[in-house]
Amino acid sequence: MSRLPFEDEKPSVPKVPEVPAVPKVVRTVLTVSELNATIRDLLENQLHTVWVEGEISNARVWNTGHMYFTLKDGASQIKAVMFRSAVRYLKFKAEDGLKVVARGKVSVYDPKGEYQILCEHLEPKGLGSLQQAFEQLKKKLAAEGLFDPARKRPLPALPRRIGIVTSLDGAALRDIIRVLRRRYPNAHLVLSGTRVQGEGAGREIAHAIRKVERIEDVDVIIVARGGGSLEDLWAFNEEVLARVIAQSQVPIISGVGHETDFTICDFVADLRAPTPSAAAELVVRRKDEFFGHIGRICERLDAAIHHRLRRMETRLHMLEARPGYAGFEGRLAVRGRHVSELASALRQRVSQGFARRARRHELLRRSLDQFDPRHRLAAVRTRLVSREGQLVAAARRRLTRAQTRFGALAARVEGLSPLAVLGRGYSVTWDADRTRIIRDAATVKAGDAVSITVERGSIIATVDRVNRE
Amino acid sequence: MDPTIKDFEAAIAELEGIVKKLEEGDLALEKSLELYERGVQLSRFCHSRLEEAERRIEIVNERGELKPAPSSLNLPDDEEE
Repeated sequence: MSRLPFEDEKPSVPKVPEVPAVPKVVRTVLTVSELNATIRDLLENQLHTVWVEGEISNARVWNTGHMYFTLKDGASQIKAVMFRSAVRYLKFKAEDGLKVVARGKVSVYDPKGEYQILCEHLEPKGLGSLQQAFEQLKKKLAAEGLFDPARKRPLPALPRRIGIVTSLDGAALRDIIRVLRRRYPNAHLVLSGTRVQGEGAGREIAHAIRKVERIEDVDVIIVARGGGSLEDLWAFNEEVLARVIAQSQVPIISGVGHETDFTICDFVADLRAPTPSAAAELVVRRKDEFFGHIGRICERLDAAIHHRLRRMETRLHMLEARPGYAGFEGRLAVRGRHVSELASALRQRVSQGFARRARRHELLRRSLDQFDPRHRLAAVRTRLVSREGQLVAAARRRLTRAQTRFGALAARVEGLSPLAVLGRGYSVTWDADRTRIIRDAATVKAGDAVSITVERGSIIATVDRVNRE
Repeated sequence: MDPTIKDFEAAIAELEGIVKKLEEGDLALEKSLELYERGVQLSRFCHSRLEEAERRIEIVNERGELKPAPSSLNLPDDEEE
C-alpha cells in the first residue's frame, strides 16, 4: 500500500511555520444532555424576549391545560408552547389559521432536542384580542341560534314589577330611576346589585339576573351599565352571562354602554336599548299614553252602544206608530177596566148583604131583652132557641142565595174577560205553570215550555226561538 | 281580581275586540248590551291596574329576599331635568 502524499511530507516540512501559540485544545466531550442544556442557555440568554408573528397551525390543548401549536409563515415554521398559566388569560380561542403576534422566549425541549418558543402572550394580529374573542363568541352563539329573532320574547305591556340588574352605585341606575319616575311614577322596581366590570363580573351579573328573575311579579328585567371602553364592558361579552340571559324565564332588555357599543349581552337579550335611559323608556309606555289609549277605546265602546240603542228606539217607535198595535192595546185596556169594575161591585154587594143581616140580628136581640128575664125566663129561652135556629137557617139561606148570585156574576164577568176574545181566534200564552201571562218575548228563552190557551182547551208548547224586538 | 281577566294585555286585546264587534253592528240588542257590560268591566280592570302599582324601590339581597332600597336611590321628583 503506497503512502499517501501528505504522510510522506509530514516530517520534512519544518519550513511551514508553526501555528503561533495555540494551546493544545483539550478535547471536551459533552453528553447530549449537556449539549442541549448549553444550547438552551445560549438561546434563552440571547432570545429571552422575542415578538414573533405568524399563523397558528396544529393547535392542540392537552389535558394538562398546556397548548401546543406551530407558528409558521410562507417559508418556515417553529414549534410553540403556551403553558396553562398563560392560556388561562387568553380571551380568545387560538384557532388554526389565525394570524397572531406572540411574545415569549426561545427554549429547547431537551427530550427531543427541539427548540421552540414558549409563548407568554398571544394576540390576534389586526384585531385586538378582546375584539377577536368577541367575534369568536358572537359567531359561536349565533351558530347555536341564540340570537334568533324567533327566540325574542315579547315584553309585557304593563310590567307589574321591573327588575333592574346593574351596579347600585352607578350612574346607569340613577338614569333609569329618573326616567321611570317621570314616565310611570308608581312603577315598582326591584334592584339586583352586581359588579359590572373586572375579573368575574360576567358571572356576578349572571347571578344577579338569576336572583331577580325568581322574584314574584317581576315580568321584565333591565340589564344595564353606563358607557366605557371595550375592556370596561367586557363582562357583558362573557359566555356565562350570555347563556343565563338566553335561559331567563323573564324577558330581558339590555342597555349597556353608549349607542355605538354592542355587546354579546345585547345580541342575546330580548330587546337591545342603546343606553340605560333608553332601556327605561322601552320597558314601559308613559302612563298618560296608557290612559289615552284606554280612554279612546272606551269612547268608541260608548259610541257603539249608544248607536245600537238609538237604532232600537227608532224601531220601537215605528212599531208603536202602527194603527193595529195601538187599537189592540186600547181594546184590551177597556175590557180590563170593565172587569175590575164589575169585580169591585160584586164585592160591595156581598158585603152589604152580610151587613144587613147583622143589623137584623141586633134588632132581634134587643127585642128579646125587653122581656122580664126573671118571670119568663124559661119561655123566653125556648123562644130564643127556636128564634136562633130560625135566624141561622135564614142566614144560611141568604148565604146560599148570595153564593149563587156571586156565581152568576162571576160567569158574567168571565164572559166579559179578555179570555172571551179567544172565541174570535186570539190566544193567550202563559208560562209553563200558568201563573203568568207572557207579554214580553224577552221573558222566555228557547227551550222554555209555555202553555197557550185557545178558545177550546190549551196547548203545551216549547219555545224554538225568541225575537226580542 | 276578576278571574275572567288574565292580565293587562289580555284585557286590552279583549276590549279592542269588543269595540270592533260592536262597531260592526248587526248584533242582537241583548248581545250588544252583554258586550258593552264586559267592555266596561275590562276598562275598569285596566284603570285599576294602571293605578295599583305602588311607587316602590326594593333590593334583592343574597338570600333572594326583598329589602327596601336606601333612600338615596329614591330620587326626589325635583331631580328630574
